[in-house]
Amino acid sequence: MNKRQLASIALLTAATWNTASAEIIDISITNLTHAMSFTPRLVVAHDNTIDLFEPGVEASTPLAWLAEAGVIDDAQSADSAGQNFEWMLGPTDNDNTTNTWHRFGGLVTPSTTLSYPFDTMDKTYLSLLTMLIPTNDAFAGLDSIVIPIEPGTYTYVLHAYDAGTELNDELNSTRTDIVEQGGAALGGYGLPGVAGVGASTVPLGTGGTGVAVTVGFDQDGNAIGANEVVDGTDGPVHIHRNILGDTDLTAGASDLQSTAHRWLNPVARVTITVPAP
Amino acid sequence: MENNLFKISLLSLLITLATGCADDGDTGQAGPQGTAGQAGADGQDGQDGADGQDGATGTSGNTAVYTVQITNLTYSQTFSGAAVIMHEPGYNTFMEGQSASVALEQLAEGGNPMLIIDEASIQTQFLDAISTGGAIPGRSKGEVSTLVVPELDTDNLRLSIATMLVDTNDAFTGLNAADISNMEVGESKSFMAPSWDSGTEANLETADTMPGPAAGAAGGGGAAAGFDATRDDLFDRVRIHSGATTNANAGDPSMEGLATSVLTEAHRWDNPTSKIIVSRTR
Repeated sequence: MNKRQLASIALLTAATWNTASAEIIDISITNLTHAMSFTPRLVVAHDNTIDLFEPGVEASTPLAWLAEAGVIDDAQSADSAGQNFEWMLGPTDNDNTTNTWHRFGGLVTPSTTLSYPFDTMDKTYLSLLTMLIPTNDAFAGLDSIVIPIEPGTYTYVLHAYDAGTELNDELNSTRTDIVEQGGAALGGYGLPGVAGVGASTVPLGTGGTGVAVTVGFDQDGNAIGANEVVDGTDGPVHIHRNILGDTDLTAGASDLQSTAHRWLNPVARVTITVPAP
Repeated sequence: MENNLFKISLLSLLITLATGCADDGDTGQAGPQGTAGQAGADGQDGQDGADGQDGATGTSGNTAVYTVQITNLTYSQTFSGAAVIMHEPGYNTFMEGQSASVALEQLAEGGNPMLIIDEASIQTQFLDAISTGGAIPGRSKGEVSTLVVPELDTDNLRLSIATMLVDTNDAFTGLNAADISNMEVGESKSFMAPSWDSGTEANLETADTMPGPAAGAAGGGGAAAGFDATRDDLFDRVRIHSGATTNANAGDPSMEGLATSVLTEAHRWDNPTSKIIVSRTR
């Protein structure tokens, strides 16, 4: 090996290193709502074969887990194994050929910002999902934006979508005076009631009769058990029509507060910073 | 000859001296000098000088001229007078997720844009600003404002606007350092903007906490019901406004509406709340 060959190898190594370093972008998310918190964020860099959600199309089971319970992977809920985004996408922080993903932990509370470095592993697109709590199945989504390459700062606004996999009953899931039709307690995935009650920045009520579905009646208005409510669905993914809420913590239709829990779009701002090489 | 003249002069002098020395007793010695009189009143100020002549017109290309027009996209939320500011990057009227300045609080709670302009005008990034005079009713366009900035700054120019939704506690719409760099003469850009909550006042929607006509019709409103230095919102941070709750359906079994609100369903809005058109005319 002569000196010229050595120099070429050194040059190649340097070039490769530069490319690798440019894959690390900084992603920051700001919660723009009045009183909704964001569950741990699913951030995915992917190719054009991956689509986490599509307005007008029925939600996938992994999306239902995220939108109803804030669950992304087995570590969050063993019950979700084989049905969650980890199952759909592959191992975390790994180049899964079509994608690479990471769950960024912790809540983003109202009016706060969190930011993280993320290795895109040279994928073309970026998507981000997070559930709004306390809601039945609302999530904020960034849908397959082209990952910027030029160094700089790029901002995106996120809207709130309804996964459509659960009726928006707005019932406090810690209540025991109501059960799902058949007897199961209210709660997260596959059950009625809003998730994330404990994380709410303002208290929830306990006397609501239900909003999009009423306790004691099924989705078609037929009487069922007086303390029962159905889970139900409300169609393909769509822009969320916002919560209704009410002004009485012990009565009214909803256990959410109309003066605090509502939002208008956009609900989040995402800023991507591509560092200089 | 010269000697003779000298002699004559000398003689005249001697005669004069002789006369002065004579004392005939008619006049006494001069008395002592009196004390000095009081100083007189100051004179009046002189008149102002005439105005200087206008400077020569700059050569075109040294300044760039822009017009800005705000459209109120809401049904019936009137916009207050607006602060319209052109500046270089680095200045922000507000930041989402951070607490509002007192100047922004004055605008968002009381509809007064002047403090924001005062605050902006001392920043190094400041270029030009104007406060629009009149309120802009719902579903209408506001007046056209004209701003002038140096041509040198057109390649990295920002536009910030803030105007209050007056039938709210502290909602405002506008632009936060929107990028209007490198606009050609004759070019226009438009922006659709949401409404923010300044986070400085609880959204009680009562007559004594809002300055606008809805509060006025209920016996409140005006300046007295506008700015209040107390910060009593859920979080003292700027965010997207969650909308007016209003008193609609307050008596409904759903109890959705806020019985103590003086707002009706007509005061609701959705985003975008305003449209801003900026055009470069020179």
